[in-house]
This record gives sequence, C-alpha cells and structure tokens, in this order.
Amino acid sequence: MRIVPLLLLICAWQAAASFGVLPKTLLPSFFDVAAQLGAHVRSGEIFGHTAASFARAGAGCGIAVAAGVALGLIMARMRAVERAMEPILLMIYPVPKPAMIPLFMIWLGIGDFSKVAVIALACLLPVVVATFNGARSVDDMLIWSARARGTSEARLLWRVVLPSALPQIAAGVRTAIAIAIIVLVSSEFISAEKGLGYLIFSYGGVGADDAMLAIVIWLAALGYFLDRGYLAGLRRVMRWHAFAH
Amino acid sequence: MPLLTRFLPIAVILLLWEAVSRTGYVNPNVFPPVSEILLRWVQIFWDGRIYPPLWDTMWRALAGLTAAIAVGVPLGLLMGRVRAAEWFFEPLFSFGFPLPKIALIPLYVHWFGLFSLSKVMLIFTDCLFPIVLFTYHGARGLSSVYLWSAQSRGTGRVRMFWRVVLPLSLASIYDGVQVAVVVAVLVAVVTEMVSGGGGLGELMIRAYRFGDVRTAFAALLTVSLAGYILYKLAQWLRGRLLFWHVAEV
Repeated sequence: MRIVPLLLLICAWQAAASFGVLPKTLLPSFFDVAAQLGAHVRSGEIFGHTAASFARAGAGCGIAVAAGVALGLIMARMRAVERAMEPILLMIYPVPKPAMIPLFMIWLGIGDFSKVAVIALACLLPVVVATFNGARSVDDMLIWSARARGTSEARLLWRVVLPSALPQIAAGVRTAIAIAIIVLVSSEFISAEKGLGYLIFSYGGVGADDAMLAIVIWLAALGYFLDRGYLAGLRRVMRWHAFAH
Repeated sequence: MPLLTRFLPIAVILLLWEAVSRTGYVNPNVFPPVSEILLRWVQIFWDGRIYPPLWDTMWRALAGLTAAIAVGVPLGLLMGRVRAAEWFFEPLFSFGFPLPKIALIPLYVHWFGLFSLSKVMLIFTDCLFPIVLFTYHGARGLSSVYLWSAQSRGTGRVRMFWRVVLPLSLASIYDGVQVAVVVAVLVAVVTEMVSGGGGLGELMIRAYRFGDVRTAFAALLTVSLAGYILYKLAQWLRGRLLFWHVAEV
C-alpha cells in the first residue's frame, strides 16, 4: 500500500507529459525514461557501469567496515587507544568528506584509488562510532562470566564483545552504505570514465534527459534494494538476537 | 592540563607529518608540511582571497536550508496531523531519504541553469528530507493530553496548529535542522565542485587542477570550520529557543 503514492506520482508525471502540459524539453515522459532503461538493460551496457560503481563503493565500504569495527572494538576495550583516537576522530568528524576528493585525487591519482579512499574515509566514522558505542554498552555480567571461566582478552573480544555489539554495528554499517553511494556518485561526477555517476553526468551533459533519468532511477532502485536486502539479511543472521524481534 | 593531554595525539600526528614532509623523501608539492598549509590558510584570509568563495558557499547553503525549513516544517506538521497528507507524503519521503539526491545535479542544471539557482535548489531538495521526516515524527508523536486540553478550551484548528502542535514539535524539528545544516554545506561544496560557479568547492577543484595542495587543504579546512561553526550555532540557538521545552529537561 505504501507504494500507491509513488505510483500516483508516476501516473501524474506520465499524464502531464501525454497531454502536453509538460514539454519534452523540460522533462521527458515516464514511458520514454522507462524505454531508455529497458534499452540499457537489454544492451547490457548498464551492467559494466554498475559493476564499476559497486566495486568502488564496495571496496571503500568494505575497508571502512573492517577497519572501523576493529578500531571501535579496540577503542572500547583499551583506554589508551580511546584517548589517542578520540581527538583525531573529533577532528575528522566535521570535514565534509566529498570535499576531500580533490586532495585525494592529487595524492592517489584520478583513478579508482582516490575514490575508494574517500569512500572508505567517509564510511569509517559511522562504523567506528557505532562499534564503539555498541562495545561500550556490553553487559558487564557477560564479560565477568566469560572472564570467570578464564576466557582470554582476545577471545573475549571475538566471542563476547563483538556479538553483543553487532546490532549497533549493523546500524552503523547501514548508514555507511547510504554514505558510500552519495560519495561514490559525487566522485564519479568529478572524474571517471566508467560508472553510473559518469553515465548520468555524460548523458546530462549532452541533454539526453531520458537516458540520464533512466540511470538515476536505476541507481535509486539499486540503492533501495541494497538497503532492503541488507535489512532482510540482517534479520536472518541475527535471529538469535533481541534486535530481530 | 587535561586539555593539553587530550589533544596530544593530534599534536604528535602534526609533528610527524611536518617531519616526514621535511625529510625530502616525499614531494613537498604533493604532501606539503603542515606549517606551510597553515601558513597558506592564514594567507588566504589575510589577503582576502577566501572571502568571496566562502560567501558563495555559505549563502547558497543557508538559502537552500532556509527554503527547506520554510517548506519542510509546515509539510511535516501537516503529515503528522492530517491522515491524508501522511498517507501520500510519508512513503515518498521515507523512500527518498536515503537516495543520493546528488545524482540530480545534471537535471537541476538543465532546469535551473548553471549558476546559483540550481545549486540552491539541490541544497533545498536534499535538506527537505530530514526536515520533513523529523518534523513529521515530532508532530505525530505528540502527547494527546496537550491536544485535548487545548481542544477543551475551544482552540480552533489553525490556532491549534500554530500554538500547540508547532511549539511541541520544535525539539524534533530542531533535530532535523541539525542534520540538514551538515547536509547543506556538503551539497553546496559538491555542486560547486561539479558545476563550478564560484564557492569553496570550485576553489578546491581549481587548486587540484593546478596541483596546489596547500590551497586545496586550506579551502578544506575553511569549509570544515564553517560547517562546524554553523552546526554549533544551530545547537546554541536550540538551547536558547527551547529552554522552556518539556523534552529538554
């Protein structure tokens, strides 16, 4: 039922275009856009760009999750690390991450490295903060009872702290995924020869609005289903946890 | 000296950075010493080169933000209190919130031109989502006691909106504004990087093209500081405006 307003909006868009209220030069009709999307999918052209984009976003986000979870856990368990990292994270926090794209392009070139690095940096903070908060709020009882059975510190981290912090980590990763897509598109607008951002920008540049909107819709749909899929996967993985209920 | 020890890690990193880039093993034009970056930062403020782009970025961000508040707050309140509005708009805004609105830059350039209007409109669009959603959740979750007590005194619909629903939703509206402030500065910089037209974003892209790391860094510091000050200002304003609010205690 929640999809009805969206469908109504699309119907209104198509109707306005069909009855000539909306000139084609301003906005192509929905059918034109859908036809373009169909053509791109049929020709298979869109998949290479999609793969390029998602490889960048996936690599950046993956690095951020691996590094962020590790850092967050260690910060939560070791005071010295927390003291050392906190001011550094506080300093990075207010920096608008896409604004670092020009600097990273100088340091790492205009290819994939700079994009992956900026995406990783942008995704890092929500993951670290979520992991840290999650690991900090672990029930002391769990830790004591594990310690009392002679669990080593490393094993404690892996078997007790990490699983209890998982729901918060998962929420942090969800934020990171949304951020990754935003930074990805920004960086592909600025420099790329492949990828969905590049495709949108180059169609927009030549005034092929129907093809451009087709890619925008494709990107939005991918982002949406990625989020839904992530949530569904999470519910399966964490069935044992109170979070899922 | 708790403050000093607290920021010791940053000092250590900066010193290391300075030392590494002075050893000569790295190209100082790619990785300049911190002192030179800070010097450039002071310089561009001193000779005034930074003010026009800073002004461009800030007024665009604030114009888009203000427009988003002007449209988003009434819309969010309406969604929170009127069933039909909730039914239609809530799914659209919930669906659109996580999507990258930045992808609309080319379309907005086509509609609103290459200059400031397209940028302000995109900032407006991007800020609208958090403001509408936070306002909606605030207006939706109001305690009925307040509404009943106002109703029992014969408060009319319009008056109810302005005198009861709006003030009680202010705390969550403000949470939305807090989010939107950050978004506004970010989108302003990205649109300027992509389609030029002055501003700190364009300054950084130009610095990149000339391989001028010092200026790119100084501009990054400027935009971060400006965003931070704006965020803190919004926070301060919240405390001033909402001191009476029940949810604040």
